[in-house]
Amino acid sequence: MLSTLSAPGSLDFDSLVREAGLQVDQVRRALSWLSSKGLVETNEAKTTSVEMGAKVPPELLLFEKVQSSSGAVTLESLRGSFESADEFSAALGRARGHGWIKIDQKSSPPAVSVEDSRGPKAMEAVIEAVRNGEDQSLSDDQSRILVDLLRRGLVRQDEKTVLSVSITSAGRIAAPPQTEEYLDRLTPAVLATGAWRGKSLRPIDVEAKAPVFYPGRRHPVRDFIREVKEAYISMGFTELEGESVHPAFWNFDALFIPQDHPGREMQDTFYIEGMSDKKLARSGVVDRVAATHENGWRTGSRGWGGIWRVEEARRLVLRTHNTVLTVKALSESKDKETRVFAVSKVYRNENLDYKHLHEFYQMDGIMVGEGLNVRHLMGFLKEFYKKLGMKDVKLWPSYFPYTEPSLQVMGYSDVAKDWVELGGSGVFRPEVTLPLGVKVPVLAWGPGIERLMLLRFGMSDLRELYGNDLSWLRSRPEIAGS
Amino acid sequence: MPVVRLDTARLTRMVGAGKKLVVERLPYLGLDIESVEKGSIRVEYSPNRPDFGSDFGIARALRGILGKEVGLPSYSTRPSGLSVEVDGRLSRVRPYIACATATGLRLSDEDIRQIIALQEDLHNGLGRRRRKVAVGLHDLDKVRPPLSYHGMKSSFKFRPLGQKREFTIRSILDSTEEGRTYGGALGGTRLYPVISDSNGTVLSFPPIINGDATKVSGKTKRMLIEVTSTDRKAGDDVLAIVATTLAEAGGKVGSALVKYTRPRTTPDLSPTEVKLDQAMVRRVIGLDLTSRQIADSLERSRMGVRGTRVQVPRYRIDLLHPVDLSEEVALGYGTDRIGPLYPASEHPGSFDQFEQFLDRASTIMSGMGMTELMTYELVDEDSLYSKFARESSRKISVQNPRSSEHSVLRDSLIPTMMSVLSANVKAEYPQRVYEIGRVYSRSKGGVKESWKLGCLIAHSQATYSEAKMHLEATCRTLAGKEVVATASGHWSFAPGRSAVVRIGKEELGVVGEVRPEALSAFRVNVPISGFELDLSALREQLK
Repeated sequence: MLSTLSAPGSLDFDSLVREAGLQVDQVRRALSWLSSKGLVETNEAKTTSVEMGAKVPPELLLFEKVQSSSGAVTLESLRGSFESADEFSAALGRARGHGWIKIDQKSSPPAVSVEDSRGPKAMEAVIEAVRNGEDQSLSDDQSRILVDLLRRGLVRQDEKTVLSVSITSAGRIAAPPQTEEYLDRLTPAVLATGAWRGKSLRPIDVEAKAPVFYPGRRHPVRDFIREVKEAYISMGFTELEGESVHPAFWNFDALFIPQDHPGREMQDTFYIEGMSDKKLARSGVVDRVAATHENGWRTGSRGWGGIWRVEEARRLVLRTHNTVLTVKALSESKDKETRVFAVSKVYRNENLDYKHLHEFYQMDGIMVGEGLNVRHLMGFLKEFYKKLGMKDVKLWPSYFPYTEPSLQVMGYSDVAKDWVELGGSGVFRPEVTLPLGVKVPVLAWGPGIERLMLLRFGMSDLRELYGNDLSWLRSRPEIAGS
Repeated sequence: MPVVRLDTARLTRMVGAGKKLVVERLPYLGLDIESVEKGSIRVEYSPNRPDFGSDFGIARALRGILGKEVGLPSYSTRPSGLSVEVDGRLSRVRPYIACATATGLRLSDEDIRQIIALQEDLHNGLGRRRRKVAVGLHDLDKVRPPLSYHGMKSSFKFRPLGQKREFTIRSILDSTEEGRTYGGALGGTRLYPVISDSNGTVLSFPPIINGDATKVSGKTKRMLIEVTSTDRKAGDDVLAIVATTLAEAGGKVGSALVKYTRPRTTPDLSPTEVKLDQAMVRRVIGLDLTSRQIADSLERSRMGVRGTRVQVPRYRIDLLHPVDLSEEVALGYGTDRIGPLYPASEHPGSFDQFEQFLDRASTIMSGMGMTELMTYELVDEDSLYSKFARESSRKISVQNPRSSEHSVLRDSLIPTMMSVLSANVKAEYPQRVYEIGRVYSRSKGGVKESWKLGCLIAHSQATYSEAKMHLEATCRTLAGKEVVATASGHWSFAPGRSAVVRIGKEELGVVGEVRPEALSAFRVNVPISGFELDLSALREQLK
């Protein structure tokens, strides 16, 4: 069929059946398959046709009768050729009205004879045209005659649907080659034998859609974390990695967070059911931290007062901040000049909503060294955020139990057109550093990464980042904002 | 963090400065502006500054940093003649009570609103939801001193605030909202603290609810403040904050005598003294400030400075250590005037080697055409155990999770990854996904954490062989190791299509075709094959 259709122009269904030499139902099935693949196009058009009815116009019959007899004929002799008296008188009226015949009333009986022998020619031409299917090419006068015949039911009009079929460009490609000169494709054999010489590759539909393909992708959060790590490393920081489950001691107590602090309650912190750290005992660093809470120990502080309980410090928690990793590192590095960071998950007992997650990432870091102060903290933060694309950063006073002074980092977002909170920072309190044996200043910060990512991706709901919607993960543009 | 609603016109009047300047400087007191609305500003304050719980305290601090009124605000008290008898038996229940009076008050509706909001924040913050401290405010004119703070049985009756009839203590605890919310703060006692006057009128059943008879109204000119607590210092702090706020509102503060075995007079509004270490201030801030600049800055932070001694107003309960004065200097000086200074590093930084290893594993997996997932470590018990018909005796749960969706720590990545595929059945197949994540298991009475690589392949032709091919390619390219698979059952995989994989002698993972029961439980209608590999153990082997 495609071969049959390859010739220019379209074919109607009947011609297609004829030319393809197939059965009607074979052509039907083939057409439905080919058009579903887009290889052929079919077009249904309604056409009207006219054909002669069973009867010749009576006036014409009358004229012929008159003309075929020699001389005048009587009315009586003519009447017998008609079905009824009405039909006869109508025929007589029309033939006379057209001026084809005349009636001599004076003779007795009245006689009929030809008046204009060429009179009926116009009507005869119309009938001839209808019989030959050439009714489209009638003159205005002839059309008027046709309309009259239609009205009188002497010519029938038929409406017919014609299916025309044409080949598409894709169909031409799929059609068997018309010529020996085209190659379907290059094959190793064709290349080896040089059979391609003198031939062309059959043209294909280069504009057609290609199948959808998804390359492998790393998660956008992983790539952003990588960016954060690179920023840190370019500033001389060493990466830390560590566990998520810690005794409350390292997550809270070592950071001088009082044991009755609201943040330590189960509403905010995930405690592991039925387990605790059995080794933690009130000696060494634990004892110094305990004394600092109770009365300030030798740090110069008043302490929080009350009684510090080791059982509370033994409870296992999913870390609520990564400062737990940096403070542990601090307890080992002591006064050595140190810059360390960790980009890891933290856990909070929150209900998920557009701005809260129960698991999210923080990018904590500390800088330890003689002579470090608030100005260095500010300088670091501005530089760090510049590397992460936040050009304008302000620092506002804030509060955390383990830093003094404490600063809140605010960044100007071009996307939100406003200042947004990026995270907390500060200088570790002597109540934190001295019990760990650290006597030099420690600058610390622990902002989240998700908010920065939302700004980067122009998203407004934190949950979308971890929604694992495959269509987003597979199709999102690598360069955000494009 | 607690929030205060500030009436803009009122605040600018109290401060004596325009709205623009006030809004600009609020953050430099450590107050986060939540929203600026027509006629009002909402700010969040840190829990270490309960004195910011009303606009009186915020205006007092703003006047300081704007230089309108600097130095120590002084608050004097005069004996009011009021005394409180204390029932010694309460020492096991709620031992401490402290009182003060405020007279000569002419409170507007907004004054009362601010004071009530302060009281509420004190209950939730310093008061630890009233367990540690509770405050009651009363109309002093409706009270007939002396007062008595004594223990009562649960059958004791009085008319609580807002009620039309008397309730027993038992029915207050069982049937009123306050009773149910705060009843737990008393612990399991049979003796309930009640404050009443010499007529036997009940002022309060702390920390649950006040009596109706002595309630404060817009007409109240003389007020009684009572504070009960389980911690004397915390109670005194709360009383001082309320009393100094009422003094800012125009009241004259009177003291009361609390008749413990050793009677004490409350409140004590005199400032505390802290020694100023100027060298420490300069060291922490990093600016070479003169003694004059330091003193000026402290005065703007509403401290008094006498040589090397700094007087801290009584409402400031957050100063624990001399280092805290450096922040007061920074605030008084203006945090925005301290210039940043970036300390360039002399040493290069470095990646953690294990984290690098994980990152490389991700690059290899994505190179094989896989999409990386990131799922939560805390999952629901149903997807972790029930959907695989797996027993859960070794599960690790967290206490009181807000949502059961995140109540158990996962020991495998396969369940959460299956949940992802289940949520993505409308996305085009084939779906090839991987995750690198932390998992948890019980070990020697504690929690062992390790990192795993999970991979799932879902499409109509997915087979064991495709999964194994990817697993082998991963081990070869990540670690240069060949794996050996041995037929073995696994809870996630179908019998006969499941194997453990070893590198050397050590079992490092599993590979297989997900069992149809699990596919059906997760409502996935294509076959899924996959593997899980222990990256922590693999990394150990490579060391």
